[in-house]
Amino acid sequence: MTYVDKPAVPRVVKFDEPTATKRDKLDVMLNTGSDIYQGACKKRGSTLKDEYRKVSGVAYMDPKDMAKLGVNNWDSVLVTSDWGEVVVSAVHSRDAPHEGTIFIPKGPWANVVVSADTYCCCDPTYKGIMCTVERSDKEVLLMADLMRSVYKKYVDDDDDEGIEKLESLGEMPVYKKL
Amino acid sequence: MAYEEPITDYDHIVENCTCAFCGCNCDDLEFLVKDNHIVGVRHACRLGASKVMEDMDQRLMVPMIRGEDGELEEVDWDTALNKAAELIAGAVRPVFYGWSETSIETMKEGIALGEEVGAVLDNQATICHGPSLQAVQNAGYPVLTLGEAKNRADMIVYTGSNAMNSHPRHMARYSTFPRGYFRQRGRFDRTVVTMDPKYSDTAKMSDIWVGFEQNGDYEFYNAIRAVLKGKELKQDVISGIPKEDVYELVEAMKNTQFGVVFFGLGLTHTLSKQRNIDIAINMVQDLNKFTKWVLMPMRGHFNVNGFNIFMSYEMGFPFGVDFARGYPRYMMGETNTIDLLTRKECDVFMVIAADPGAHFPSGANKHLAEIPVIQIDIHWGPSTEIADVVLPGSFVGVEVGGTSYRMDGVPIFMKKAIDKPETCRDDEWIVRELKERVAKIKQAQVASK
Repeated sequence: MTYVDKPAVPRVVKFDEPTATKRDKLDVMLNTGSDIYQGACKKRGSTLKDEYRKVSGVAYMDPKDMAKLGVNNWDSVLVTSDWGEVVVSAVHSRDAPHEGTIFIPKGPWANVVVSADTYCCCDPTYKGIMCTVERSDKEVLLMADLMRSVYKKYVDDDDDEGIEKLESLGEMPVYKKL
Repeated sequence: MAYEEPITDYDHIVENCTCAFCGCNCDDLEFLVKDNHIVGVRHACRLGASKVMEDMDQRLMVPMIRGEDGELEEVDWDTALNKAAELIAGAVRPVFYGWSETSIETMKEGIALGEEVGAVLDNQATICHGPSLQAVQNAGYPVLTLGEAKNRADMIVYTGSNAMNSHPRHMARYSTFPRGYFRQRGRFDRTVVTMDPKYSDTAKMSDIWVGFEQNGDYEFYNAIRAVLKGKELKQDVISGIPKEDVYELVEAMKNTQFGVVFFGLGLTHTLSKQRNIDIAINMVQDLNKFTKWVLMPMRGHFNVNGFNIFMSYEMGFPFGVDFARGYPRYMMGETNTIDLLTRKECDVFMVIAADPGAHFPSGANKHLAEIPVIQIDIHWGPSTEIADVVLPGSFVGVEVGGTSYRMDGVPIFMKKAIDKPETCRDDEWIVRELKERVAKIKQAQVASK
């Protein structure tokens, strides 16, 4: 059984839809939160695997917004906010229509772009973040690679190019055995 | 989903187990056990079943320490515990974060360890229902138990919560669908209202969806309060909702016999944070002039409420308790994990049964990349990628017994169903062992002075 079996969402808007004006960049509001697929995968402990990337490293977008950007299901998009930028897959939202907002399930991908401001109230602002979405050629990183490239804990800080060229950490735990 | 054959290949069934996923703590689960592994779960939701039937590929099995080259290396328990104890004993401002997916018994050891070294003890409430707890301190807490909701409620309001995705059995077991003593026809005797900007899966199965605009919660609840007090609304549209709809909703809310507001993180994570919940509680108080209304936060982890209740009993404060001065202090926005991390105050971070890598904003996590991180958990997760010492714990509710508190504050004992892997240890044992080792180092320091 797999946890990425989602209800199929048809492509309801074609790229030549007359109301969809093609743009390179969209200003949208980002919401994050739990999602049953992300939750099941996280709680099962399969965070290193591709299935976690498929359920958590995605931005659920309104089909009309996707038409404006000219992206298909599972195409990469770059989400940029004041706090960072991350590449995720664009996916048709099951809750559409909600033009002008995107939803990224909570997880390492969403965390890169959410605000750490608590306004002295202990709780970061995970919802209602202004950001932009644009097409991207880069691939969505696996969890371990994402953590390495964002936090740079054990790699050279200054060399962003170098981190990108490193070999992927893969889908299984990497550690030295006794 | 394709049809799946029922599981028939198992040795024995363990009945009446408690689910170790969300704050519903469903206690009617049946585990199908074969060769000391759980091969099937009955009655659980998708999330609960996925947690109980875990992915053994990524289970943390051995203690590990991060070496010079940045790679985790397997070590024996003694070395790992000594290293962790050394880090904790040498810290100036340690933070012990997590505790919500472990037992009360472990927390007891944790408090002793925190007092010993003057640490900050915090739990997941700080990034989820922390504002709710503040609001409860501000405005009161009109409580109920989930049994009351089941037997009495005829109007259920989910606000800022997508129960179908985060607490899948909540509606089926406690609020919407079950037949109660005064609600003999179950779903047909109840009205379900969802107030959420998102047309969520919960909204799809509700009778009424109030889709107010993003960050519009505060204004919307104030409008309801105004109408309840007999005022006329001056605007035609409030937070994207026509005023006629507000009047109609208030009328429906006034004419129920027993209403329950379940609220989730939709309220706490937007900009007005605890003020949203203040106003929601005030709304419930105003509704009580007409009929019986109560309110409850939808807690996430199975024991997140347990930590808050246990801390309040023991230390007087629900979370973010700072022992730096030798006595417990609590200051919102001052002694909370996210603030300590964004201010780069903390110098050793211990995470137990939680995953900051997956749930903290990167602005806070960046400090974790600069300081030593000790992780006690059962699975390899995003936090393991930034951890320096990894101690594999065991799974409360499946591999070890323990007490937890349901979202309504009812304590439930979670029983043990299978044996833990040989190389892993109980969370309680690990924390006690750390406490003893830290105490030994501290005594040696005093003696040498």
